[in-house]
Amino acid sequence: MTGVRKPRPNRWQRAFSTQNRGRSLFVASALTPLMLYMLFWTLLPVAWAISLAFFDYSPARIGAPPLGFGGDNPFVGLANFQNMFGDLKEAQQFRTGLKNTLIFATLVLPLNLAITIPLAVAIEAIHVRVKTLFRFVYFLPTVTASVGVALIWGYLYHPQQGLINMVIRAVGGSGRIWLTDPRAGFLGVPLALWSIIGTYLWWDMGYNLIIFIAALQSIPREFREAAQVDGANTWQLFWNVTIPLLRPTLLFVCVLTMISAFQTFDIIQIMTAGGPQDQTRVMVLDIYLNAFRYQRMGWAGAVSLVLFAMILIVTFVQSRLLRTKWEY
Amino acid sequence: MATAVPAEHSLPPARKRSPRRGRGWLRRAALYAFLLAGCLVTLLPFVWMILGSFKTSQEIISIPPSFWPETPTLQNYRTILTDPKLPLLRFYFNSLFVSISVVTLVLFTSSLAGFIFAKYEFFGKNLIFGLILVTLMIPFQVLMIPSYLILVRLGLIDSLWGLVVPGATSAFGIFMMKQFIQGLPSELLDAARIDGAGEWGIYWRIILPQVGPALATLGILTFMGTWNSYLWPLIVITSPEKRTLPIVLTWFNSMHGTRYDLTMTASVLVVVPILIVYTIFQRWIVQGFTLSGLK
Repeated sequence: MTGVRKPRPNRWQRAFSTQNRGRSLFVASALTPLMLYMLFWTLLPVAWAISLAFFDYSPARIGAPPLGFGGDNPFVGLANFQNMFGDLKEAQQFRTGLKNTLIFATLVLPLNLAITIPLAVAIEAIHVRVKTLFRFVYFLPTVTASVGVALIWGYLYHPQQGLINMVIRAVGGSGRIWLTDPRAGFLGVPLALWSIIGTYLWWDMGYNLIIFIAALQSIPREFREAAQVDGANTWQLFWNVTIPLLRPTLLFVCVLTMISAFQTFDIIQIMTAGGPQDQTRVMVLDIYLNAFRYQRMGWAGAVSLVLFAMILIVTFVQSRLLRTKWEY
Repeated sequence: MATAVPAEHSLPPARKRSPRRGRGWLRRAALYAFLLAGCLVTLLPFVWMILGSFKTSQEIISIPPSFWPETPTLQNYRTILTDPKLPLLRFYFNSLFVSISVVTLVLFTSSLAGFIFAKYEFFGKNLIFGLILVTLMIPFQVLMIPSYLILVRLGLIDSLWGLVVPGATSAFGIFMMKQFIQGLPSELLDAARIDGAGEWGIYWRIILPQVGPALATLGILTFMGTWNSYLWPLIVITSPEKRTLPIVLTWFNSMHGTRYDLTMTASVLVVVPILIVYTIFQRWIVQGFTLSGLK
């Protein structure tokens, strides 16, 4: 405590004066248990997950207490990570999952933006009363339980009984087997994955939509008026004024959409269970199956850390890009 | 401006502007057509679900399928609500119990911690708050395996409490309550102290009554998240009678295969309550989601 400058002792003195003892006691007694509780359910699990990744751990085998590491659950160093590049069946499934997750996220992102930005601009351009109504309708899917979404869309996609094939046949096309045909594809991506993407877009778009609407509302009207006075048409207004002003929000929304796409599980597990032939097997499904079906928790822990790393990378890239200041 | 008709080549942007006014109604009509078409796509799956629930078991498998139920029936609802193997009230109770417990705990812990971070100075405050925000980045999939192992050691596997206990605090909730409570005047607190109120009294009698809207928003978001949650109950719950509604729904679906009349009826019974909650609390929910997005 050498070289402490003035403000610091003052703060300590303040904290321990009679007058403030009540407050310090309150902060200590109320916050400490809360923070310990949060540590217990976040920091401890994170540390545990990291440790798991370095063991060949299965809850079915007996290890040394308290965490069950050691014994029949030996320390394997980086083997779990090295094996990800190997020929093991779980390694192949991991790579399939990684590939599908990346395809899924990179397709969801532009499609989502292509739907939500025009919708938000359109909703922003209409009368206030109807605006609320449209926003209400477009947000309905987002509050729906994922399980409900998956079952409804399973029925919509059904080859014989589903509405989608019914509509296609009504206009003279031939129906598709949307969720279970391993040979069907479009642009090199399996049809089943496209079908999941369709469902996901329907379910998830309301979220980005309301963020874009809020962002559009915060753009000062003068910018658009100035551009109009300068003679910009609607299209120019959109590309040259609205989109650049939306950029900070846009960047942020991109990251959030990517991250939540990385973590998609419910609808895939229910609609296709990763099939056909692992064509919709994504990383979270892989983690779930390895941890809770095959009891390979060490391996699953390692895969979950890869997912974590992907999320951190996306977040980091965003924070780097956001460092550029856009002011208006 | 609108009446100016400049030479075509000299001022192209202005030329484009004048006909636009004349076609204003056309633009607006196109705008509404676009939005209404979007609404149709958004609503159609719900309509398809509800229509399916009123179809008979013969009609649902007929080829080609019908859009409107030919002989609308309530039989599916009767079948599900009276099925002795499907104690639906029990499952509603499970879901309500878990959701209400989580909401109560989250509201208490978030408002208390948010209050402290907003209105008190103490050593390491910014660091601790920063750490709380960092935890928002940790994906659930990383936490779920160790959390499961912790529950095993606590003996909370296959217990509804296992769904409640890990969710009792919320980093987002603390952040949100802190932002909201920061906006309250500190004079309020000082006045209460002069009147002899203790710090807990201030929290209970001054702060809580002031943060109603924020509590409502956080409460509804937490409720919907817990009510709809699937993966965690899927891992924790093994006994049939302890299932929550989403788990029941998938189990029911796997039992009945392509009996979409029954599956859709069950979906209506699970999905519609939350849609009603959404309709009632629309304003708060949209606000809350916007806030959670702009964190």
